[in-house]
Parts: sequence; structure tokens; C-alpha cells
Amino acid sequence: MFGKGLMTGMGITIRHFFGRKATFCYPEEKLTMTEHFRGGHLTIDYKKCIACQLCAIQCPNQAIKLKVVTDANRKRHLESYVHSMGRCLYCDLCIEGCAPHALSWDKNYEISTWHKEDLVHQVITDEDRAYLADVMARAAANPTPPPAPKAPPKPAAKPATPSPETEVKPGE
Amino acid sequence: MPQTETYILNMGPQHPSTHGVLRVNLELDGERILRATPMMGYLHRGIEKLLEARTYVQGVPYTDRLDYVSSMNNNFGYCRAVEELAGIEVPERAEYIRVIMAELNRIASHQVFIGSLANDLGASTGMLYTFRDREEILDLFDLVCGARMTFHYIRVGGVARDLPPEFAEKCRKFLDRVPEFTAEYANLLMGNEIFQRRLKGVSRLTPEQALAHNMTGPNIRATGIPFDIRKVDGYSVYPRFGFEVPVGENGDNWDRFQVRFREITESARIVRQALDGLPEGPVMAKFPKMLKPPQGEVFSRTEGTRGELGFYIVSDGTAKPYRVHIRRPSFINMQALDDMCRGYLIGDSVVAFSAIDPLMGEVDC
Repeated sequence: MFGKGLMTGMGITIRHFFGRKATFCYPEEKLTMTEHFRGGHLTIDYKKCIACQLCAIQCPNQAIKLKVVTDANRKRHLESYVHSMGRCLYCDLCIEGCAPHALSWDKNYEISTWHKEDLVHQVITDEDRAYLADVMARAAANPTPPPAPKAPPKPAAKPATPSPETEVKPGE
Repeated sequence: MPQTETYILNMGPQHPSTHGVLRVNLELDGERILRATPMMGYLHRGIEKLLEARTYVQGVPYTDRLDYVSSMNNNFGYCRAVEELAGIEVPERAEYIRVIMAELNRIASHQVFIGSLANDLGASTGMLYTFRDREEILDLFDLVCGARMTFHYIRVGGVARDLPPEFAEKCRKFLDRVPEFTAEYANLLMGNEIFQRRLKGVSRLTPEQALAHNMTGPNIRATGIPFDIRKVDGYSVYPRFGFEVPVGENGDNWDRFQVRFREITESARIVRQALDGLPEGPVMAKFPKMLKPPQGEVFSRTEGTRGELGFYIVSDGTAKPYRVHIRRPSFINMQALDDMCRGYLIGDSVVAFSAIDPLMGEVDC
């Protein structure tokens, strides 16, 4: 019968009309993101960071720009850390490359901006800068002495067993 | 005596039914199509060159952007090619997880196909139902890798991280729902007379034509040739699972739809078997962090959701590939558009295009 398929289809539509809703009211209700959710702004645990720059090396698209300073104790610290979200692929390679697990996402999914310039995100906060100034000042007050000049390289030690080509057997 | 002449119509690049930015140059005689020429390149990003400028491991997230509704399959194809080149042995558990992800993504991709085909035929309700069910798969992926698109989960040497403990249960719950929602699509769309009349007998291709155009994937299976690389090559752990390759008979749009529709059930079967047989063990192979494959070249092919997805990689022994070429199934399947449109009406060109199921991200690469 022509129209039978149409009626079956309408039946499904009507059943769903009275059924459970598949949607929810977004701005009022918000979803919680999963544990490994990739998205939002990068955050850094400043005290954990060892300024090894592996995150910037791992990045396939050079989205991370950072500056490193060395204090009087010859320890490295981050001076600035800029995450260009417009270039970011959100591939997670930087976070997986971070040996001390200092980097993480803040799981905020509402990151759209009005202007392109706002996509450049300063990861280091004022608090971190104050901490850096404090550390630098303390290191400057109590500097470690410069390393002792290296001893001249020792002459290469003779090989313990001469190679078979040069070996001369006694009595020959 | 009035004279008539043919008329050139540009469909696209900004056209709602071209799934992205494709321009089709239609030569018309009244309402009949005499010739249809796809004009591509509007979404070209140079992914092959981008891959050549990055290390092997850094290239994986770029393959996500090829066919962005089935990223897992692209990751899989690229990683297999690099592993073959570098001689990396992938742990068994990782292979199983890869197959689960690739098949789940195949289901999601075919749901997009069914939804967009219904939408192109004017039945926008159909799209809502398929996208509602696709959400469940995306939620599973979100749980596993933290992203709903562009997953970057399958890595060179294995997978990014092990499955979370609640995954198996949630995945089984989804698989139990597969017969339910496929029945719903069948009742909603397949029984519909308008839907059938728009698809049956339209854009017919013979097996010879499909072979001449080098079509692969569901498009060639719809013409009756059971060519599925999962069966033909038996790569990864696919030979351990029992599944069938659905084939069509007439090679028309209806068969293209049917083949994909039946593949959803088959993919669900594979996922269930893989979940049952999931072995314990590591999920990542051991290989040096700065991967430098030996000099040589490799062509590795896998069955993507749209056909044969091949990666040709040439290594010169350094950390970056010397040359990458991607055989994108959508791009090659697009050639058949001309044969599929010739002699049919303008409205059928939209359906023909939708039935090939190309994705412009992959066509233009």
C-alpha cells in the first residue's frame, strides 16, 4: 500500500514526541568534561616545572613559545609561556611529553573569542611571576660559586689489550 | 525555427548539499545532465607537505584532519604505514583496541552518511536520529581519548593510553542498542516510498565502470564486487573475527545505502568479538623517542570507511619523512560522479553526490 512506509515513519516520530528528551538546556545546564578532556587553556604548575622546554619541542605546530631564565644557582625558570590557541591542534603531545606532569588543560570548553588576538594566551600568572622574582632574588643573594675550571683532559689511556693486528708474539 | 543550446550551471562551492566546498560544473540540456565535472581544491591545506615537515610521531594529529568524521581510521592507516617502515611490532592488546576504535568510527561515519543522505533528500528528521545515536559513540571516544573529533588516539607503536575500566560496559550497552536504532532507521527511512523512489535505479554503475574508475569501499561493494581490504589483506587482527562483507546487486544509490546500512551491524559484530577477546598486556610498543626509520619506502593500505586508504611514505633515514602521499578514497571515488549523473535530472546529482559519500577534507587533502 502506498503511504504505509510514511505512516510507520510518522509513528516513530510521534513515539519520540512523547518520549524522553535527548537534549538539554545548554547555557543553564552544563556538562562535566571527562578525565582526559583536551580543550581550553593550558595551565602550568609553576613550582613543578623544570623549564626543560620539551613541550615546545614536542608541539607539531609551534603553538607554544616560552622564554627561560637561569638564576644565580644555575637553575632554569620560565620567564614567559605563551600558548597560541589559534595554532593549537589540541593533540595532547605537549602534556604527554611533560616529564614532571606540570602541564594540564583547564577543561573549559567555552573558549571562543571575539578577536584573533585574544587567542594568544599567557599561561604564567602574576602569582607565578612574583614567585619567580622571589626565587631569583634569593638565588642572587646566595649564589653558588662558579664551577671549578675543568682539569685538562687526560691523555687517552692505552688500550688494555693490543689489537690482534699489532700484537707481536714473543719468540717470533 | 527556435534554437536550443546547453546550459552550464555551477553547483557550489557554497551549496548545502555538497558537504563542504565542492563546485560541480553541470552541463544541462533542459533538466537533464549531459556532463558533471567536479572542481576541487577549495579545502586544500597541503597535508602531505605538512607531514613532510614534521617528525613521524608529530604527523599523526594531521591525519585526523583528512577525513574528519572517521579520524580513527586515518590514524590507523598512517600508523600502520610508519610501523611497517620502521619495523615496529605492535602489542596484541593495542591491535585489539585499534580494531574496536576503527569499527566504532565506521559505525559513526555511516550514521553521518545515512543522516546526510536523508537530509539531502529533504528529510531533515532523518539526520536528527542518526546524529543522536552517533553522540553515544562520540561519548565513548571522549571517555577514551578526551576528544569528540580529531581523536589522535591511535599512535605510532600502539594507542595513546589504555581503555578506562568503565569502557567495556558502556561499549556493550551501546552495542546492545545497535539493533534497536537500525530498526528505527529502517522504519523511518527505508520503508518510505519517497525515499525508495529517489534512490532505486538511479545513478546506476556497472561493476566494470566501477572498476575502471578504481572505486573502492562501499561504492564498489554496491556494484556486487566483494572487495574489502579487511578480508583481502587480512591486516591487523581482522582475520580472527567473523564478519560478512555486504554487497549490492544493481550498483544504484539504493544499494550504496543498503551496503552501508548493513555494514553498521557487521561492524558492531566485530566490536563485540574484539571486546570479548581483548587480551591483557601493554598498549604501546617500545621504540626510540626520536624515530628514524631506515631508508626505504612503503605503501600500506587499510580499509577506511570510504574505501581503500593508502599511505605511501618514503624515508631517507632522517627523523622526517622525505615524501608522503595519501591515497584518499573519496578523491578517487569522486571521478565516478560524471558517470553517475549523466542522463539524470539535476535533483539526482545531489543524491548521486551524497551516495558516493565523499568528504571534502579528504578530497582536497
